[in-house]
Amino acid sequence: MSSSKKEVAALDPSSKKKITPVQIVIYVFLTIIAVTYLLPLLWVFNVSFKTNKEIFTAPFALPEKITFDNYSFAWTAGNLGTASLNSLIVCVISLVLSMLIGSMAAFGISRLHWKGSKLAMTYFLTGMMIPIHCVLIPLFTRFAKVTQFVNNNLGIEGFHLTNSLTSLVLPYLTFSLPITIFIMEGFFSSMPNELIECACMEGANIFQIFFKICLPLGRTGLFVTGLMTFVGNWNELLLAMVFISDETKKTLPVSLSKFVGPYNTNYSQMFAAIMIAIIPTIIVYCAFSNKIVDGLTAGAVKG
Amino acid sequence: MKKRKILATLVSAAMLTATFASCGGTEGSGSKKAKKNEDGSVELTWMFWDDLNATEDLISLGYKDTIERFNEDYKGKYHVTPITTNLEEYYTNLNAKVAAGETPDVFIVSPGPQLTDYVKPKVAAPLDEYLEKDGWKDTFTSDAVFSQQTYDGKIYAVPLNTAAACCFYNTEMFEKAGASVPKTWEEMLDTCAKLQDAGYTPITISAGTAWCLSMVAGYLCEAEGVDLPALADGTASWEDGKLENACNKLLDLSKYFQKTAAGDTNDVATANFYNGDAAILIQGSWAIGQINGQNPDFESKCGVFQFPGVDRVIAKSDSLCMSSSTACPEGAAALIKYFTDDAAQKYTAEKGGKIPVTKVDYNKDEAPAQLAYVMDVFGGAKGTFGFYNESMPTTETGSHFDDTMVSVFLGEITPKDAAKDMEDFYAANCRS
Amino acid sequence: MDKMLRNKKAIAFFMLPAFLLFTLVLFVPIVQSVYYSFCEYSVLTPPKYIGLDNYKAILSDKTFKIALKNSMFFLVFSCVSQLALGLFFAALLTNIEKGRNLFKNIIYLPCVLSSAALGLLWMFIFSPSLGISRLLEDMGVKEPPLWLMDTKGTIILPMWVIAFVALWQYVGQSMMLYMAQISGISKSLMEASYIDGCTKPMTFRYVTLPLIKPMVATAMSLNAIGSLKFFDLIFNMTEGGPNHKTEVLATHLYQQGFKYSKYGYASAIGVVLLILCLAVTLFINKVVKTEQYEM
Repeated sequence: MSSSKKEVAALDPSSKKKITPVQIVIYVFLTIIAVTYLLPLLWVFNVSFKTNKEIFTAPFALPEKITFDNYSFAWTAGNLGTASLNSLIVCVISLVLSMLIGSMAAFGISRLHWKGSKLAMTYFLTGMMIPIHCVLIPLFTRFAKVTQFVNNNLGIEGFHLTNSLTSLVLPYLTFSLPITIFIMEGFFSSMPNELIECACMEGANIFQIFFKICLPLGRTGLFVTGLMTFVGNWNELLLAMVFISDETKKTLPVSLSKFVGPYNTNYSQMFAAIMIAIIPTIIVYCAFSNKIVDGLTAGAVKG
Repeated sequence: MKKRKILATLVSAAMLTATFASCGGTEGSGSKKAKKNEDGSVELTWMFWDDLNATEDLISLGYKDTIERFNEDYKGKYHVTPITTNLEEYYTNLNAKVAAGETPDVFIVSPGPQLTDYVKPKVAAPLDEYLEKDGWKDTFTSDAVFSQQTYDGKIYAVPLNTAAACCFYNTEMFEKAGASVPKTWEEMLDTCAKLQDAGYTPITISAGTAWCLSMVAGYLCEAEGVDLPALADGTASWEDGKLENACNKLLDLSKYFQKTAAGDTNDVATANFYNGDAAILIQGSWAIGQINGQNPDFESKCGVFQFPGVDRVIAKSDSLCMSSSTACPEGAAALIKYFTDDAAQKYTAEKGGKIPVTKVDYNKDEAPAQLAYVMDVFGGAKGTFGFYNESMPTTETGSHFDDTMVSVFLGEITPKDAAKDMEDFYAANCRS
Repeated sequence: MDKMLRNKKAIAFFMLPAFLLFTLVLFVPIVQSVYYSFCEYSVLTPPKYIGLDNYKAILSDKTFKIALKNSMFFLVFSCVSQLALGLFFAALLTNIEKGRNLFKNIIYLPCVLSSAALGLLWMFIFSPSLGISRLLEDMGVKEPPLWLMDTKGTIILPMWVIAFVALWQYVGQSMMLYMAQISGISKSLMEASYIDGCTKPMTFRYVTLPLIKPMVATAMSLNAIGSLKFFDLIFNMTEGGPNHKTEVLATHLYQQGFKYSKYGYASAIGVVLLILCLAVTLFINKVVKTEQYEM
């Protein structure tokens, strides 16, 4: 994969070992761009060490003294430990399930022969186009009714579809399906026919073809959709806010909103909480980014 | 064969859907079973718009104490769990819970059209029965505290505290500029001019947070004698010149606002005041806690005066409703009562800096200095009226008023057009 | 093999989980929401069927017109700017080797961060007394613009500000997709074009561009849907103000539905939004997606 990129680069007349003036211009330009990307984040980092009063009097100055008070307050008052764990559980479960179910459907649409496969694709795509606010109330009332039905009519008292992590996994997983199907469909249909024919000759059945051949080959695509849906779910606020009222089940974005009071906002502590919330994202992203970025590069290579 | 397959799939999907949908029928009409905890206590829920642990708002912290006290005192009988979300998503969340038949037993609501929304469909229960019991109602300062919570003679919510919108001022700056506390509109402009000549920013205000500017507009309308009920039923018109005058006054006053008023948010505007960048802040008395909390040295040089040229003051109260579908009305009522008992009301005055609603004897030395001034203003006023945006027929109308005032301030529309715009909006949306 | 690919059981196995989940959790609520769009529904009272009244009300809703105009502005701006800038970055990055991954990652970084947090951050930065206005004043600029409150012109300044922030945040995604496509172009094609005497810009114009056309369609569709549903940044930076001037369809929908309890009306806006999304996606695919090249 990365070798093919090098070959392309090697073909470029300008990418010989010595750096040309054009490249210097490019580097200077890119550095300026990189600064505009990193400065705002550094600003948040800086502010997260200040007091509220300092933010308003000297927003750009360095903090008077470095303390981690904001961080420790944010961590305990925002219950960020539990919240991170909840977010992790919800997002990982919905990630794994949506990748599996989504790529299965994408395979079914792109590789299996049946009438209506095009229609099915359009059907799933409508899910990408509806704003979440439209389905919020119907979804919530539905979940509550199912809970009441199961509790009262089936006599299972402990069953909770609302106010449980399941109530977030279900919509997160489902809302991730359209985009997973949209991207994975492209991956599967770009795979050469010979591959499947070959496997068929060898006596593989359809399930083996999917799980042993297509899925491993499409793993780069899975990285991409995985990243996109994971990030989306990790940052999702509205559903999490309405569906969860139990303090111990709240997710990270909800915990961040705790610092906005009715009449005033604890900016410094909120920014500390935001830093706590984004630092793991940045670490995970940096650790995986090249894999993901390479995955994106490799995967999108299709007609 | 294929068709049958598709058909079968569709039918099974339809059946599943029907199962989901049919559950709707099983939902009882509010007669829920009381939920019991392991220790046999009845579980109650209380919904509020601020997180009780992460907040710095003193009133919210007081509510936290009250909840803890209640749980301690009623151990084994009732147990209340707070459900909190931030104000931005509060009504979304509450409405979703109501629609799903999971209305919290006790919930906070702003008086005005918001409360009406819950009273009309009978989501909130009338509370007279409980208020009459054990002389609860007599502990309140007067029956007038219930005026915004009363519909057709019945009380649907219990106010917990009152905040009044006043002018906070920096006594040091006033002294140095030789300015005096204004009583009339002309004196106000005069005072501001003096402050400006002395090199101070006279007024800090937020137009970025629309209701802050609209609060001042509300006072100016009151001074002009705008009659909101008459406007709502169509016997008066917004275009009778009163609003236009009020808007012109607003524009006159805006010469003395801080330069960045147009974009500053409420937090920034308030910070300008307690950081000593401006002389006057027009704000609700809930700001006292914020001011003293952020800059404790400021308390000694912070004075309060009533908005000049107006007899009445703008007042706002936090109010609690009881769900009409609660499984345990006695418990819910007992809980609400805890918020108006002496301990809670003392805290309201002494720590929270809001005006108590009951006849409680609080320690005046404990309370922030500003509260006494606010009490003076409150006591000296000829009555109260609600925030303008909360005194109009619907929430949307209130927001429209706020937005229109911001537009006037930004110079985007003329006062005359603003009056016409309000009249058109009322004609289209508010009068039947 | 064909028989295997037509196996009904296999089709059911692959399609049913997604189909059932999607139908029950997402499609049924969508249908319900479409039904609400024909109702007067405040959430607190049961829905009352009123026919097309909500849609008629949309026609005379001034704020809706502003929101539609702003959404269209976003749509056009983000499609054009993301295409241009995304391609530009992609072309630049394919031309360097050292630090390519670093720059790529930095530009992609905001895509992984929460737009709610970023919106708040930008609100701070454009606030007149705290952010860049303060810096400008310190540098001697007399009256820095009211970044988020100015109301002059057809497309007001705050919309441009927000549009650029959105570009800043999301351009990484388009860049990545284009980069992927460019680096996938067969080297023999490039070679051939250089041998034929094409300069680099000419190669880009006549070889690279036509070959990445399908990706343009994909990236643009994602862009278009994203920009029509655009919500977080606006909600956190201006909340649609001053006086609804920066309202877009999604924020207008939110306000009507949740702030003013007109859920039926909000649903009608949602349906209009859905139709717009469908139409725009179809249009993009018709116009941009031409025949696919063998690579």
